[in-house]
Amino acid sequence: MDRAGKIRISLLILIIVVLASVSVFGDRYTKMLFMLIFLYMALGQFWNLLGGYSGLVSLGQQIFIGLGGYTLAVTVLNYNFPIWLGVLTGGIVCLVFALIISKAIFRMSGVYFSIGTWVVAESLAIWFSNWEYVEMGQGLFIKPAKLFSVSDIYYLSMIVGIGSVILVYFLLRSKLGLALMAMRDNPGASEVCGVSVFKNKLYCYLISSFGTGIVAGVLYMNIIFIQPNQAFGIDWTVALVFISIIGGIGTIEGPIIGAVVYVLLQQWLSNFSSASMLVLGIIAILIMLILPRGIMGTIQQKLGFEILSPRRYL
Amino acid sequence: MEEYFQLILNGILLGGLYAAVGVGLSMMFGIVKQVNLAHGDLMILASYLCMVLITHLKFLNLWTAVILVVPIMFAVGFLLQKYIMNRVQGMGMEPPLIVAFGLSIIIQNGLMLIFSPDSQSLETPLAIMSLRVTDMFYIPAIYVIDFLTGIALIIFLHLFFKYSYLGWAIRAASDDENTAQLMGIDTRNIYAWAMGIAISSAAVSGILIGATKNFYPHTGPQYLIIAFGVTIIGGVGSMAGTLLGGLVLGLAQLLGGKIFGPGYQLLSGYIILLALLAVRPQGLLSKAGRAD
Amino acid sequence: MSNETILNIDNIKVYYGDLLAVRDISLSIKRGQIVSIIGANGAGKSTILKTISGLLSPRGGTIKFLGEDITGHKPFKTVAKGISMVPEGRHIFPRLTVRENLLIGAYTPKARHQSEKACKKIFSLFPILEERADQLGTNLSGGEQQMLAIGRALMSDPQLILFDEISLGLSPLIIKDIYQKIKDINNEGITVLLVEQDIKRSLKASEWTYVLQEGRVVLQGKPDSLTEVQIRKAYFGA
Ligand SMILES: Nc1ncnc2c1ncn2[C@@H]1O[C@H](COP(=O)(O)OP(=O)(O)O)[C@@H](O)[C@H]1O
Ligand SMILES: [Mg+2]
Repeated sequence: MDRAGKIRISLLILIIVVLASVSVFGDRYTKMLFMLIFLYMALGQFWNLLGGYSGLVSLGQQIFIGLGGYTLAVTVLNYNFPIWLGVLTGGIVCLVFALIISKAIFRMSGVYFSIGTWVVAESLAIWFSNWEYVEMGQGLFIKPAKLFSVSDIYYLSMIVGIGSVILVYFLLRSKLGLALMAMRDNPGASEVCGVSVFKNKLYCYLISSFGTGIVAGVLYMNIIFIQPNQAFGIDWTVALVFISIIGGIGTIEGPIIGAVVYVLLQQWLSNFSSASMLVLGIIAILIMLILPRGIMGTIQQKLGFEILSPRRYL
Repeated sequence: MEEYFQLILNGILLGGLYAAVGVGLSMMFGIVKQVNLAHGDLMILASYLCMVLITHLKFLNLWTAVILVVPIMFAVGFLLQKYIMNRVQGMGMEPPLIVAFGLSIIIQNGLMLIFSPDSQSLETPLAIMSLRVTDMFYIPAIYVIDFLTGIALIIFLHLFFKYSYLGWAIRAASDDENTAQLMGIDTRNIYAWAMGIAISSAAVSGILIGATKNFYPHTGPQYLIIAFGVTIIGGVGSMAGTLLGGLVLGLAQLLGGKIFGPGYQLLSGYIILLALLAVRPQGLLSKAGRAD
Repeated sequence: MSNETILNIDNIKVYYGDLLAVRDISLSIKRGQIVSIIGANGAGKSTILKTISGLLSPRGGTIKFLGEDITGHKPFKTVAKGISMVPEGRHIFPRLTVRENLLIGAYTPKARHQSEKACKKIFSLFPILEERADQLGTNLSGGEQQMLAIGRALMSDPQLILFDEISLGLSPLIIKDIYQKIKDINNEGITVLLVEQDIKRSLKASEWTYVLQEGRVVLQGKPDSLTEVQIRKAYFGA
């Protein structure tokens, strides 16, 4: 391992130790804040993997948040699954569902894909609102999750948060990631390798769906209550788009910074949820007009380097 | 039997309204190759604006309010395109999409803060009138007005594109921006005009929706999806197609609701849209390849 | 013929991103002339025309039209001032009919008043267009499309017209016909700047020619004063 690699690993361990110690020394509120940041960071990474690297601007990530959450609720409540297995099953259900709908939505490109995924989410919201098995629109109360302490959920969130960053980092450094970035940065070249474009994007979509489903499980362990219009609501995607673009679309650091900003903003305006959404909307537009590369993208461009560079210089 | 006849008739009338909902989106999609994600919200904004004029400013009635709302919404669309959308045009797919998405969020939550999440409707005597078809069978007068206005709007736009200089300029600019400039067309300005017209049509349909159904701050996206459905079924930028798209969705919703239960009205429309997106995204009428 | 300079280009530089496509080019055209620019593929001919019409902006130098500085003006301004361009590849608007294609050429407020009259004039110049007036422009043959593109450019009543490779892909008979029309247009007092790869044709048609190589003017003069050897050398750099 080279010097830079060693420094990176030590830094990572240091960060993990510091973050883990928050669970010991931090108060309840601080822990909640970090927890939310971890979870949104992970969701943001998986959105960014699609929107920032694969050219798939999904407006339907809430499909997998809803499915992940509902799978957890149903398996735990009706089949007495242990929670961890419920979360994992949620990820698998998302993966399978993504595979099924990919047959249809991968025939759409560009904005067709965006709206197509959104319509799938809206359809699921309607379906679940009329489905007796999940108590229709009333929603489900995931009681067994109450057994978990804040610290338990904190560690879990930390694992999925940091895990998602590491996963995406290595994914992008793999052959798959290099192909994706080559495609993104040089659209002309993508036509040459036609078939593999489709496959690469599909893999990304599947990974992103699985990951989102898992994160959703952990998220709902914390929220405890799930209801169709909320679980399959567009507000999730609003948050994810915001997180990715403010941090910098198509950068690994972007969603990390974006999640911090988002969660703090939410806390600050928490008494007025409409107001906070309004502010998000305004910031999103201003970012697009003034800093279309986001905070990280702009820093990278100015300084000419990336902290977590997925590129390998040969 | 008669029940189904009534349903189909209502579906057709609803289709005219949906055509009006979709025509502006379809037009802009054809011109700037972008989906205005705030289309539905701008519609609902017009509904609220109309409501404020009628109730708070004590305007005489719905129709006098319309005369104010449509030009105001034209200005909103024009300025939106000129000062915001034009700046992100040509930067790829994400920026315009995200700006429109941001606008959608702003409008929804702005309306929420000002008017509360309660559902609203536009008071009009027409809402309680109906036309007798047979003894058993009445159709609400407002449905007929929706349908006729929708058709009139589409015919008007068709004639506008066919016979006016501005209409030719919009078509030319959407086919080939550089060459249009060589004709002396200030294409950026033309896009602003086009958006003004598209949002005026959204305003008309928003007012119709307000007079026909309840609306609340978050109704916009539902109509965006309908507008998108109309666009996809009819083919991007096609005026006649818009009408077809409206009819298909209107009928699908009412028949779907009848067969599967009222909870599934919207779902039937969505399923048709998804199926079409997967199989024939260029629209039913189009002979050409993909529209994007 | 007057001696008034209609177009004066002084030392312009034009870039595509970081690529310098036109390097310090100067040229000048007198009212009523037919001037040609020749050069190999990629020499920068189209870039010059696009810069005059305003589709591209130079990063240095000035362009003056009738003594007025129009450097960096957008096309909708240059067209209104009297510069018109027939782009390479014709670019007929596919969803507009022949008549609509012509009428859109008279988009500027000044030309719009006279559009019906101008349209009649184009129909008498190119009678085939009148026969096809209500068909879509893309249904025409290549030669007819080129006539439509020329007609469309004339609709704005220009003082200077720029032709970019109008003979591309056309049969010799049609090319001859079109060049005759260019002479007719010029006889009505419209100044012509034409760009061609076909050396012989453009030398024969023009009174002054510039030879371009890799974004520079390497040779200029009256066509009959330039020898074939000179031109070949300038053209191929050999
Ligand atoms: N849109 C463009 N983007 C980048 N480079 C271009 C573009 N258009 C032309 N070029 C380059 O500029 C140079 C001059 O091109 P052009 O003016 O079209 O040449 P010509 O018309 O003489 O064939 C060429 O090297 C060409 O590759
Ligand atoms: Mg050329």
